[in-house]
Amino acid sequence: MTVYWPLALLTFKEGIRNRALYGISLIAFLFLGANVLISGSAMREIGKVAVDMALSTISFTGLLLVLFIGINLMAKDLDKRTIYMVLSRPISRPQYIVGKFFGMALLIVVTIAVLSVFGMLSIIIEKWAYPDYFPRFFWGPIFLAVLFAALSLILLSAVSFFFASFSSSSFLTLILTIMAYIIGQSLSDVKALVEAPQTAGITVSPVTHIIVQAAYYLFPNLSLFDLKIQAAHGLAVSPSYVGWTALYGLAYTCLMLFFAALIFRKKEFP
Amino acid sequence: MRTGTAAFLFCVLIAVHLLTLEEAEQARKTLPTGDGGTYVIPGPIAKILALEFDGLASDWYFLRALVFEGGTYERKEKPRVKSWEWKWFYDMLDSATALDPYFQDPYLLGNSHLTWEAHMIRETNSLLEKGNQHRDWDWLLPFYIGFNNFYFLHDNERAAEYLAEASKRPGPSEQLASLASRLAYKEKKTENAIIFLEVIAKKTEDEKLKKEFETRLKALKIRLLLERAVVSYKQKYHALPPKLRSLVTKGIITEIPADPYGGYFSLDTLGEIMSTSDDKLLPQQKRQ
Repeated sequence: MTVYWPLALLTFKEGIRNRALYGISLIAFLFLGANVLISGSAMREIGKVAVDMALSTISFTGLLLVLFIGINLMAKDLDKRTIYMVLSRPISRPQYIVGKFFGMALLIVVTIAVLSVFGMLSIIIEKWAYPDYFPRFFWGPIFLAVLFAALSLILLSAVSFFFASFSSSSFLTLILTIMAYIIGQSLSDVKALVEAPQTAGITVSPVTHIIVQAAYYLFPNLSLFDLKIQAAHGLAVSPSYVGWTALYGLAYTCLMLFFAALIFRKKEFP
Repeated sequence: MRTGTAAFLFCVLIAVHLLTLEEAEQARKTLPTGDGGTYVIPGPIAKILALEFDGLASDWYFLRALVFEGGTYERKEKPRVKSWEWKWFYDMLDSATALDPYFQDPYLLGNSHLTWEAHMIRETNSLLEKGNQHRDWDWLLPFYIGFNNFYFLHDNERAAEYLAEASKRPGPSEQLASLASRLAYKEKKTENAIIFLEVIAKKTEDEKLKKEFETRLKALKIRLLLERAVVSYKQKYHALPPKLRSLVTKGIITEIPADPYGGYFSLDTLGEIMSTSDDKLLPQQKRQ
């Protein structure tokens, strides 16, 4: 841990200093402010809309953080050649990858925690203004949804590290990560649609069926971590679901870091 | 640049900005809207496109439908909403509930307008059924399906099934369980409709709809009064009253109350109470 911690802390500080974080925070606060205005327009389920808005803002902001700060954190080391300085110390390339990743994970956790405070505040304001319109409202599922949103972002960040390990430019890493995010979020729905195409009145070729099945096992299933609807309606989530999904997230994250470290070990720097 | 020139330029640019915005906004209103051409992305596809923001997308679909419906009250034309617009309204709510099937508001909004106004009873019931399956703690949804079956589709058996289901869930009034068994008696139709509508009026928060339900309730209560007067007449004279006015002349009732819908009450050959405004009270029944 002594090898990873200084690097993780350095990465975290670098992330905090990034000016893009101010822009991202501004978007988040605007959305959370809008929550107070928009959710009041619902009929009965004002609580549901308020929770939807708050959790979606947290997830969306986290996504911007991973895409626009996380990816640059690694690319900057390569572009500015500071990586030589780091690697000249007694630290291996895989340790560099893992240390950087820990720093990014810390940045995600801290940012999500700060955003959650404001998100909860927007919900509390709505709850105070419309106390009768919060049926089936529980804080437990909301905290769980936030926790799972953070897990999903940490996983996505690991995927971006994997892409960054072989990609020659940060833009390519960004494109690949966005692609993995979109596929990961829609995989379950696409699979359901391909398995029952009549629900949307479409036909699906056998080739598409095979491609979707292959993608299902290849790409991270990010939709598993989405518990916003359950939180918005105060629906129970079984402990086995929580356990298996968290384990899946951990396993996929480790797998991505393993491949990233493996590729990065052989990478030739310009 | 001198201060005077800068101030002049600033004023001109602001004026041009305001003028062009106003003109473009006005011109946009004249653009053809394409009757029947408004497409709503079907639920399963919308679910894929919404990524992890299903709940938010569902809110958006619902709020669009709500804003559209509210905006139609300003219209002068009749009918207020065209049939393709009702179809679009239904599709929006269908997609909203495909994205988040636990969201109660789209079901209630659909039920309020697609039944009484659009006469899309079966579509409304299929929408409510989706909610009924997911919101298994909510008595309102099976209650509304039951009401629609009873009032619009005249399927008392099915209505009783849904009411029984609603009465088992937490929260409904005690009347509901007895209403389910009362539905077996067809002669109690008006009384049952009153019980149903009293529950609905109590649960409705929209002021316009609440007023409509109260008028309907008033009309149904007058009808019930007249029906009971006909029964009393029959018991007393062993025959049907020749006309409705006979109920007053024979002293069964003091006067024939005014129809809140502005119609005139009369009696058909089987002794059933009718009104020239029946299409407002029982729209679907009149159509069949």
